[in-house]
Parts: sequence; C-alpha cells; structure tokens
Amino acid sequence: MRYRTALSVVRGAGAAKDGTRHWWAQRLTAIALVPLGVGFVVMMIALLGADYDGARAAFAHPVAAALWILFTVALFHHAQLGLQVIVEDYVHSLGLKVAGIIAVKFAAMALGAACIVSIIRVSAGS
Amino acid sequence: MARLKLPSNSKVESGKTHRAPPGATNVRRFIVYRWAPDEGSNPRTDSFEVDLDECGPMVLDALIRIKNEVDSTLTFRRSCREGVCGSCSMNIDGVNSLACTTPIRAVKGAVKIFPLPHLPVVKDLVPDMKRFYAQYASIKPWMRAVTPPPPDRERLQSPEDRDRLDGLYECILCACCSTSCPSYWWNGDRYLGPAALLQAYRWISDSRDETSGERLDDLEDPFRLYRCHTIMNCTRACPKGLNPAKAIAEIKKMMVVRQL
Amino acid sequence: MPDAYPITEHTYDVVVVGAGGAGLRATLGLAARGLSTACVTKVFPTRSHTVAAQGGMSAALGNMGEDDWRWHMYDTVKGSDWLGDQDAIEFMCREAMPAVLELEHYGVPFSRTEDGRIYQRPFGGMTTRYGEGIAQRTCAAADRTGHAILHTLYQQSLKHGAEFFIEYFALDLLMDDAGACRGLLAWDLDTGAVHRFRAHAIVLATGGYGRTYFSCTSAHTCTGDGNAMALRAGLPLQDMEFVQFHPTGVYGAGCLITEGVRGEGGFLTNSAGERFMERYAPNAKDLASRDVVSRSMTIEIREGRGVGPLDDHLHLHLEHLQSDVIEKRLPGISETAQIFAGVDVTKEPIPVLPTVHYNMGGIPTNVHGEVVTSKAGDQEVLVPGLLAIGECACVSVHGANRLGSNSLLDIVVFGRAAAERCAELITPGESHPPLPGDSEARALESFDRFRHARGSRPTASIRLDMQRIMQNNAAVFRTGEVLEEGCRLIDDCRATMEDVKVSDRSLVWNSDLVETLELDNLIRQAVVTMHSASHRTESRGAHAREDFPERDDANWLKHTLCWLRNGTAPEFGYRPVHLETLTNDVQSFPPQQRTY
Repeated sequence: MRYRTALSVVRGAGAAKDGTRHWWAQRLTAIALVPLGVGFVVMMIALLGADYDGARAAFAHPVAAALWILFTVALFHHAQLGLQVIVEDYVHSLGLKVAGIIAVKFAAMALGAACIVSIIRVSAGS
Repeated sequence: MARLKLPSNSKVESGKTHRAPPGATNVRRFIVYRWAPDEGSNPRTDSFEVDLDECGPMVLDALIRIKNEVDSTLTFRRSCREGVCGSCSMNIDGVNSLACTTPIRAVKGAVKIFPLPHLPVVKDLVPDMKRFYAQYASIKPWMRAVTPPPPDRERLQSPEDRDRLDGLYECILCACCSTSCPSYWWNGDRYLGPAALLQAYRWISDSRDETSGERLDDLEDPFRLYRCHTIMNCTRACPKGLNPAKAIAEIKKMMVVRQL
Repeated sequence: MPDAYPITEHTYDVVVVGAGGAGLRATLGLAARGLSTACVTKVFPTRSHTVAAQGGMSAALGNMGEDDWRWHMYDTVKGSDWLGDQDAIEFMCREAMPAVLELEHYGVPFSRTEDGRIYQRPFGGMTTRYGEGIAQRTCAAADRTGHAILHTLYQQSLKHGAEFFIEYFALDLLMDDAGACRGLLAWDLDTGAVHRFRAHAIVLATGGYGRTYFSCTSAHTCTGDGNAMALRAGLPLQDMEFVQFHPTGVYGAGCLITEGVRGEGGFLTNSAGERFMERYAPNAKDLASRDVVSRSMTIEIREGRGVGPLDDHLHLHLEHLQSDVIEKRLPGISETAQIFAGVDVTKEPIPVLPTVHYNMGGIPTNVHGEVVTSKAGDQEVLVPGLLAIGECACVSVHGANRLGSNSLLDIVVFGRAAAERCAELITPGESHPPLPGDSEARALESFDRFRHARGSRPTASIRLDMQRIMQNNAAVFRTGEVLEEGCRLIDDCRATMEDVKVSDRSLVWNSDLVETLELDNLIRQAVVTMHSASHRTESRGAHAREDFPERDDANWLKHTLCWLRNGTAPEFGYRPVHLETLTNDVQSFPPQQRTY
C-alpha cells in the first residue's frame, strides 16, 4: 500500500456501473410503503378487539390479500436493501461483508415467503 | 469494521496551559490540538489564553497571535486570510470551517480547535489531504469535448447555461464538507465525498462539456456515489455557502432519468 | 557544523517553482510539449494567491463595444508612466486575445453576454481610441476571475499529467561558476527531506512580496521567495521601488475589494459625501489608474476629509447599483464586505483604504521570460537556465504602475511564452552536466543555521519591525528624508536577522523555520525596495516623491537594477526602457504628460 499512488487507490477497481437500480428500488419501495403502511395500520386499528373470524374475513377479500402480499414484498425488499447498505457502510472485511449481505438477503426472502404463505392461508380460510 | 475504541497512542492527553499576560481583561481560552510526529508522544491539547483586545476578530487571527507571541512551534496552514484559498480549514468548536472567516465571537466559551476530522494528521492542525486531492483528480475535472473549439473565438454559452454553474464552480477545495460527512469517515477510501461529487456535477452541468454520459458512468457505483445518505452535513459545513448535497441529489436524479 | 541532510535526487528537463497562474500555465505548456516537468510549490496549487484575483483579465476582444489591442497597448504604456518596455507590452496586448480564448476553451466559467460571448467590464485606465472613451475590456467570471482561472489551469495540469511537488519549500537556486542556473534545492515539508532538482531550465513563478508591509491585500504566503533566491544568486532585481497601493482594501482587515466595483458603477466619497475623484481625474473619475486614485485618497485623508471616528479612511458606494448587478457580477465582494467590515453592500458603503497590493518590480527578463542581468556594460546579458514569469518577473510590462486586470493577463501570456521558449531551447531528455557543489553547500549551511538559530529575537518580532518600517517609510507618498530614515531602519532590521530565534528544531512541517526562511527572503526585498525608492529622485507611477513631484524623463527614463549580496549594502545599475515596439504593426508611444 505504501508505494501506491493516492490516485491508484482512489480509482481502485473502477466504477461498478451499478447502484442506481438499488437506489431507485429503495425509493420506490419507500413510496409504496407509505400508503400500504398506512392501510396496514388503519386496518390493524380497526381490528383491535376483533376475534379471529373477524380478522380472517378482513383478509379474505382478494383485493385485501393482494394488498397484504404487496405490503410484505415491499417491506422485505425495502428492509433488505436498507440493511445491505448498513452492512456495506460499517463492515469492511470482505468475508464478513459478503456473509452479511447474503444473510440479509436470505433472511428477507425467508421471512417474506413465510408471511406470504401465511397471508394466503389466512385468506383462503384455513 | 467501524472502530469503537482509539488505539492507546491516539488518546488525546491534556497539555500545557499558557496564561494570558497580567492585566488582560478580555481573555478567551483556546484549546488547540497538538501532535508532532518526531516527539513520539500522544497527541495533546494545549490551552492558550488570548487577550481579545490585542487580537483580530477571526479565529485565524488568534492562532497567528498565539504563534507570534506564545508558541512559535504551533503549526497550521494559512494563506489568503479572506476565505478564498481554502488553506485554513479546521474543526472549530465542533464544526469544520475556515479559521479566517470564523469570528471568535461566534463561538461561546473556550474555542476548541482540532484538525479536520478523519484525516491522518501530519502535525498539529495540518492534515494529510493527498487522498482528498486524488479523489478530485479522479473525476477528471477538466473540459472534455469532442467538437474542437472555434479557433478564433470562444465557445458560446448562454447566460442561463452559465448560471447553472453558479453555486458549483466557487468550491475552494477546503475539504470542510467531505470531512464532516460520516459516510466519508467510514468509507472515505471508496466514497468520493461531497467535494469531488460537487465538482463532478459542475462539469456535468457545463453546457460546453460533451461527456456528461461518461462522467455519469464513472460515478455509477454503490460506493463512489451512493454512499451519500443525504445526511446534509456537507451543506451545513460549507464555508462558501454551496450545496453539495443538492448537487449529489441532482446526479442521482440524472442516473435514474437516463434509464427511463 | 551543519547536520548531514540526506538528499533525494531528481532530474527533469524543466522545473517550475510556484503554482500560481503563471507557474501552472508554464507547467501545463511544458507538459503538453513533452518536456519532463516538475512544478515545485510551497502550497497546494489552488491555494496560490492568483485565487484571490477578482475583477478580471484584460483583452481587446471587443465583445461589448469597439476595441483594438493597440488602444490596450497605449493604455498600458500610459499606465506604466512610460517605464514599461513597449516591445513587451505590445507582445502582451497582442497575445491577450488568443490567451483569453484559450482559457475559455480550457473551461474557465466566464460570465456571458446575451449573445453568449465572454462578458467584459470597464476597469481603471482602460480606454478606447487612445484615451477618448471608456473601454469594456476586462473579461470576468463574476468577481472571482482569479479563482476561476487558477482552478481551470490546475485542472488542465491534471489533464496533462504534470508532476507536482506540493508543499515543498524552495531553498535556493543551484548556480554554476559561469553564472548559469542548473537546478534547485527544496525542502519537503511533509517528510522533512531535502530534495535536489537538476534541470536545464528553472522557471521562477513565485509571485510578489506584499508581506514586507504591515497592511496588504496579499496572502501570508506572498513572500517573494524567488526574488530573494535571485538576489542570493548574485542577480539584480529591477524597479523594486514601484509598489502598487490598491485604492480599495477593506479598512482594518486589508482584504481586497475589486476595482470591478467601480467598473460596474461604484464610486468613492469623502466625509462631505463628495465624489472627490471628479476633482483629481475629471475624465476617468473613479476609473483613473490605481496610483492616481490611491494618491487622491491619501490627500483626501491627509486634508481631514476622511470618514470614521479617526477620519482615516473613505467610503466605497455600491448601494445605488441594481441588486442583480451585485448578485450576478459582485457576489464575492458582497461576502467579503459582510464578513470583514460587517457591511451590507446593498445598504451601506464599504470602508476602504489604499492598501499594498502588487509589486511592479522583480527579476528582469526579456519578452520570452528569460532572466537578464547587466554585466560589464552589457545590459542585456542572459542568465542561462533561468526564467521568471508573473509577479516575480519584471519584463517590464507594468513599468511604474500596473493597470487593473493586466496581471491575470501577464501571468497567462508570459507563462505560455516561457513554456514555448523552453520547448525551443531544450530537447526532451537531454543529458545534464555535473552539478557544482558550492551553491548547494551554501544553501544547506544557511538552512541549518536558521534551523538551529538561538538568538533573542523571535521571527515574528523582527517581521513586525520590518513591516512597520515599510508601512511608515515607503508609503504612497515619499520624501527623501523619510526614505533615508527608512534605509537606516531597514538596514538595522536586516542586521537583527543575525539574532533571530527559532524554537522548533524539527524537519516535518516546521512552520517556525518556514516563516524564518520567508522572513529572510522578505527582508532582503524590503532593503532593496527602500533603497531603490530612496535612489530614484523623481515621481513616476506608483513612486510619488514629494521632494521631486515631477517625472524626470531626462534622467530617470530607465529601469533601476539593484543587487544585494550577503553582508553588503545594495548596489545600483540601470537598464534602458525599450521604447521601440516589437513589430511595425504599431508605432511607439513617446512619453507624454499623464492625466486621466
């Protein structure tokens, strides 16, 4: 490192020609999460004190189910994008960083899949 | 990995105290970071009492007074003393700014003066800025055009197009913005930082330059550009009142727009 | 015994010392011509004092009205009070147009006219038709033209891959026995190491020495290191008595307020609210040349018409200008006035005072930037291997008084000329003859002596003495008596350098030692300036003698040369003023009475 020029270090491996999709997706999911999140909160408040059947009925409507699935996808996609940024910001060892990013992505997919399956099952009425 | 503890040889110790001359009535204390590479000791903060009645109004005036009258070994960069050369950027009272345009009275209580944060210190208030300059060079901050300029006259530019450069070309490369940015602290080796990005945008915005696309290509990177998390410290710190955060936002916008 | 200093060797075709506008223009020109070039500079290039130039760069483009380079040449000759060399002035004014266009092509963000051309503003002493009308000749990038040009030149140097040695302090020129310059010794502040640069040519672009005075618009780093190196190398300095006072330095702080303010319609008033310049310069008024305005201001203050509690300064008004003129054309000085005078320029006048600004004198050169000296009756002896450009040079294009916006022009034109000259004279990669050791040993001995100086006078205290003497005894108006006293005082002050005290003995960023070396440089120039002023018994341009109020062309239409060797008194010589032009495209302008 000592004998490398500062310019060589700064140029490094060049521009990855990537990052815009990530940034754009994070903005889009954030925008999507505003109405979806508000809807989710409103519905949860409306369901306060309701029993399981009442809640299930609210999920049974196909539009509602679709919205919940969208909410889940947007939420976990957004969380995954954000967490990846945090890992990139603070974890500087390459191995740990790759492991962290993989863990974040897999965890988001797994949790998202679990949520979607649950929504389908509740909405399908079992 | 982000470091939570300083190595023991970096712990800042408390240094000498220099009292004001007897009879001084308008005394202010300046606490100044000191470190010399050949002394082999830890950094320390020296405390200097300065009689403001005998001193000019700016923080730089006080530093010069200390150097002239009390301790000539105190080392800091300075040149134009009017806020255009960018030499005397330092951390004053917790904020990066130019010592020559920061009035002493703008600071309450003792004036704490440290080098710009998160750069290697060469001596006292002099940081090593090589990487910062290399980042500037890396964005190719010069006119790039394929069309040759007319041989006997200037390239034409409308006043409106020229106005787009206002707020961009005035940058003095003092590094107050970049070294105030937490993202630059953590990833300064790969993130270009607000100063370099502001200059990249200065050239992207220049109607005479023909390489906006290549310039955007060179910036499109999760680290070079997208480490900006819109923290806005850069804009708050800029002693020239420029807005690097806005310039970076404009670059990000162009990145998306060229895909749509 | 001096400490042993291990030396790092470098070999280049050309070494440029200084990275202001002139140094950078030369550096990039040399790099573009394929000569191996190093630029050695004590500050990062964009921190050089060119960055503080505000108003603009003159060139007879005629974008905003009729113009001709001959009129520009006439104005410059007249501004110089006929002490400027007309061949050099012709060269500069002709080259002005391509030079400014080249800068535009490099990307300088000039302000624009409605039809997309470079915006040009009126400036002091710039006229049309040989003094008839007011010319709009000064190309401007708002009021930050120097910043725009310096940054652009640095960018071009990056583009051409020029090599920089940044924060290296130049110690001395390496001269051989035949009087040729063969290299440079410099001290790397970052590591503390001493470096030796061998080169076929050294280009000095080290700027002025404004810091010899207590109050100046110059940066702390304007210490004329190149001039002092030339003196130590046994070379003379030329016309050092001519120190320009800028009419409008901010009262107290000394920061510059551009002449462009008056170019855009601003004016000066005294305590009676009178536009007094109408009395002193009925035609040009506030846009008379700087020496005239500074003298008029000094008279106003001396006769009790100053403003403020001490009646010791004057007012510069721009409240009457339209807000978009201030916003678009003068944003920088609005900021400066606010910060350093606490004044809102849209509401109140700026308190101003004539302040030391520019040194017309320097190292004598020819039109190509090659250093000349006078030897055994020959007044045009070239010094092989040495060039000088910019404020440190005395070509002389500014003579006894520089016109505003001619200095940005000077640095670009002669920076380019020096690069072209080196390219003509030097074949890339030519081998170097061995270096003689004497001048290097002397430089290191002096460096070591200052580093270990254990006298009783801290650098800052000697410097303050010097600055006070210059401020008091070599001011706007001078008399024989005051100058003689000044010579005595400055000689005594020079002698106190033997008793200097340096507290820092380290090598890495030893700024105590840097300031001491700079003081050693400054004080030599202060001595030369004071003695040259005392020597010239006439009034011309910026040199106004009350005991000799008239210009004396019979005896003094000549350049002063002044040598200052270690431990001796200054010695004087002369060079003729070149009244002849370079080509037949223009006639020589014979000396006339100078009124504005």
